[in-house]
Amino acid sequence: MREAVDSWSVRLAARVYRLCIFALPGPLYDGFGQDMQDDFRAIARDAHDRRGGVAVLSALLRAVLDLFGRSLGERLQLSDVAAAKLPLGERMQLLFQELRQAGRSIMKRPGFSFVAVLTLALGIGANVAIFAVVNAVLIRPLPYSESERMVWIQHHAPGLSLPDLESGVGTVMLFQKFARSYSSMAAVVDAASNLTGTAEPARVQVLRVTPALFDVMRLKPIMGRRLTEADEVRGAPDVALLTYRGWQNHFGGSPSVLGQVVRLNDRPTTMVGVLPKEFQHPDWENELVVPMHFDPNEGFGAFGIGHIARLAPGATIETAQAEATRLISRLPELYPDITPEFLKKAGWSVSVSSFRDRLVGDAKTALWVVLGTVGFLLLVACASVANLFLVRAEGRQREIAVRFALGATGPRVAATFLSESMLLGISGGFWGLVLAYWSVRALVAASPPQLPRLSEINVDLRVALFAIGIGAVAGLVFGLMPLPMHLRRSLHGLVRAGRGFVGGRERNHVRKSLIVAQIALAVVLVTGSGLMLRSFANLRAVDPGIRTDGVLTLGISLGDEVSKPVAAARYQQIVDELNALPGVQHAAATNALPLNSSGINGGSFRIQSKPREEGALPPVAMYAIITDDYLPSIGTRLVQGRAIERADHEQNRAVALVNQTFARLHLGGNAVGERLAFGEDSLTWIEVVGVVEDVRTFGLSEDVRALAYLPMTTHVPGARIGIMTAVIRTTGDPAALIGAARAAVKRAAPAAPITSARTMQQVMDRSLADTAFTMTIILIAALVALLLGAIGLYGVIGYVVSQRTQEIGVRIALGAIPAQVRTLVLRQGLVLAAGGVAIGLVAAVSLSRVLESLLFQVETRDPLVFALVPLTMLSVTALASYLPARRASNVSPLQALRSE
Amino acid sequence: MAKRDATERFLPLKPAAFHILLALADGPRHGYAIRTAVEELTRGGIKLWPATLYGSVRQLTNAGLIVPLEGEADPDDDARRRYYELTALGKRVLTAETERLRAIVDFAQGTRAVAKA
Repeated sequence: MREAVDSWSVRLAARVYRLCIFALPGPLYDGFGQDMQDDFRAIARDAHDRRGGVAVLSALLRAVLDLFGRSLGERLQLSDVAAAKLPLGERMQLLFQELRQAGRSIMKRPGFSFVAVLTLALGIGANVAIFAVVNAVLIRPLPYSESERMVWIQHHAPGLSLPDLESGVGTVMLFQKFARSYSSMAAVVDAASNLTGTAEPARVQVLRVTPALFDVMRLKPIMGRRLTEADEVRGAPDVALLTYRGWQNHFGGSPSVLGQVVRLNDRPTTMVGVLPKEFQHPDWENELVVPMHFDPNEGFGAFGIGHIARLAPGATIETAQAEATRLISRLPELYPDITPEFLKKAGWSVSVSSFRDRLVGDAKTALWVVLGTVGFLLLVACASVANLFLVRAEGRQREIAVRFALGATGPRVAATFLSESMLLGISGGFWGLVLAYWSVRALVAASPPQLPRLSEINVDLRVALFAIGIGAVAGLVFGLMPLPMHLRRSLHGLVRAGRGFVGGRERNHVRKSLIVAQIALAVVLVTGSGLMLRSFANLRAVDPGIRTDGVLTLGISLGDEVSKPVAAARYQQIVDELNALPGVQHAAATNALPLNSSGINGGSFRIQSKPREEGALPPVAMYAIITDDYLPSIGTRLVQGRAIERADHEQNRAVALVNQTFARLHLGGNAVGERLAFGEDSLTWIEVVGVVEDVRTFGLSEDVRALAYLPMTTHVPGARIGIMTAVIRTTGDPAALIGAARAAVKRAAPAAPITSARTMQQVMDRSLADTAFTMTIILIAALVALLLGAIGLYGVIGYVVSQRTQEIGVRIALGAIPAQVRTLVLRQGLVLAAGGVAIGLVAAVSLSRVLESLLFQVETRDPLVFALVPLTMLSVTALASYLPARRASNVSPLQALRSE
Repeated sequence: MAKRDATERFLPLKPAAFHILLALADGPRHGYAIRTAVEELTRGGIKLWPATLYGSVRQLTNAGLIVPLEGEADPDDDARRRYYELTALGKRVLTAETERLRAIVDFAQGTRAVAKA
């Protein structure tokens, strides 16, 4: 029962070994197969316990070599009890001789060698590149001590339309008071602040943390000191630590930064330390870390706090999860307003997950899918190289026979083959590594910017060994595959070398199986890429509800410290300046740019005409703050009522627009004239004056949610306008306007940092980036697989034709017409292809399920894809077998007889 | 004379075969125990990987030098494992091979190059 506790390397090695055992000749396999497996597992275990995973790999390699060597010896019926043996020196000399001969032989067939090495390099290169990414993102632990014990605590309240909810003051307090599973826990909040008093004023991301974060992450500053509880106390002097990036960006990495005083949101702040380079997180791209003043009296409701903890000794994620679930029901003890009924209605639950999983998030599925894809590609590449080797082996029958006749022993002939194929395999691995090295750079450049831990991706020693290792194993297998058949035959019917060995039936059988496998693998990949293509097309076909062409967006930050009326006036000035630019049709600003909803607020609201029933949950909506000209600027339509007008501000009318979803969900379709109040106790009733077409605020693949548009001048509790995005519609190229637009913003608000300048098309492309990335890789892999499959089929059918030249010649001489001959050959190809397609489709049906979470509005068994893929495959394979078929039908009887 | 022929036929033994016989000289062992015994004896110098081990075991069995034990197993160990022991022929072959090796060692130690320790 130790099997369950074996490490994955031992289990994997045991599985590989079990597969290899099939290579043994029957008697040995039947009699001892099980013993050998058991022993190997014990050996692997022992290697693992003594020297870890690498030792397991080396044990596997040696055991497999031993296995193949033995299986050869058995087939040649060499005696193992007694035999004369060559001394070591002589053996080394022989080995060297073999290698030299192998090199020469490879050089003698440059075409074959080139194709074999290239195919392997492609397959290996793709795998190594993706493996490098997976290794960095998913396998390598985070750069913290015992990072696997760091967990992230998150809440879910589907009943409040909040499926994922960061922690809040209330829940953090709850855990601090009652939880026993953690040795330390900390709260973190990400925010932006204005940094002045440095060389250049800047908008910086600041991470506010409770000092316990340094315990949770076991974080040690490379300079200065950590945060302590004294820093947390209200009224303590303001201090900050720099992240490595912040240190480089704002202080040029100067060591004299400690003790410097800068102004952070206009408060003098002393720099007390610098954090190591490893402190880097995808959604915490911060430059400063400051203490959080955590106020236990703040009440339950303040959410949006990250809650990170380190498991106490003895606790596991499972026990912590169980405890967290129990704790939630104790919330009412701390907060009497939170009733058990409320928790039940909200469907409140909590999840404790490893911090790494939370960092990697959605990228996990996509990456494993991509790795699986290139794994398949490698299989296809191996199958085609195997086929190449078989073809070449045909051509060398005579050479082998002669060598045997001259007294060479079986092992020596085998050694020749092996050294050749190993040399080829290893050079395939080498070139694959070179290829991977380049493509990793390209991958990093092309991968979606959201991909976590991007900066950690590189080709390291482990990755390099992986590449060369695959190459060597591939070479070994290819070299051995044709051997048993060869040697057995050569031993028996030795120098009947007249017509070569006619009995190619067995070999053809192997080659045909390889082709079927290749086509099946290609079908799986083509199906996957078809599904991803459809997904991508669906995403592109989604109506975003806006017109992206000709629109430039500029992120402008006044900061949350400026009072709201002042900020509103300043943004209005900026918009006016932008409107005055030549070529600008409309300009406006919003805090919730479509497809990129980082700034959006939301909350509960009341409807005047429909008072809420006692105990019912309040309706929830998002709200976007806009300036007057927003609708024409972003290019969205008003479907009912009127837009917000200047007169509304002048007469102090509180007005709003809602989107179609809002009108349908909350107002029964008749929105215009209804009056809303945002917040539980707001007394300002806001009149809905118009309904706006649905816009994809959260990204193309997200559902449209209820959204209200409020003018900047309307007061809504919690609505933030610290960062707004200017939306500028021009008649010309929006990118050409960036310079002028920046200057206009500078004229209106000289101190306001511009946080981004992108065309709306770029914003749109970015929201497609994830799908595009996965799709591109699968598509490339599918095309390569298709090509290799077609070439393979062409090769096999071509070979069969060349073997049957004589027979075909006779048929033609006897009056067969070329069309009949063509059909004959074509049918052979199509039978193979159909077999491959059928197997491939079955595999694709079950494998496409792993794609499910990556697909958008496509079923994993999309009928269109599953209809088109076989058609495509069959046409490509028909073409591949038509070419040799045509050659066959052109055979002249005379030529056929002469070829004999 | 006939007996002599029976052993001579197997000489010189291959190292793997010799070590397997040697490992069984003190009593029956199962396959994995043979491997560890050989590894220990040669201080890690010879490792019998499974295919070689069982390939040799099969041939030694076929040649009648060793036999699998029926139904007898160390109670502490996995009942699945088969134990092997030397046959009378096996013992004689082992002795003959050891004699042969001793003769060679004696000769070597008598030469000037290899001084006796």
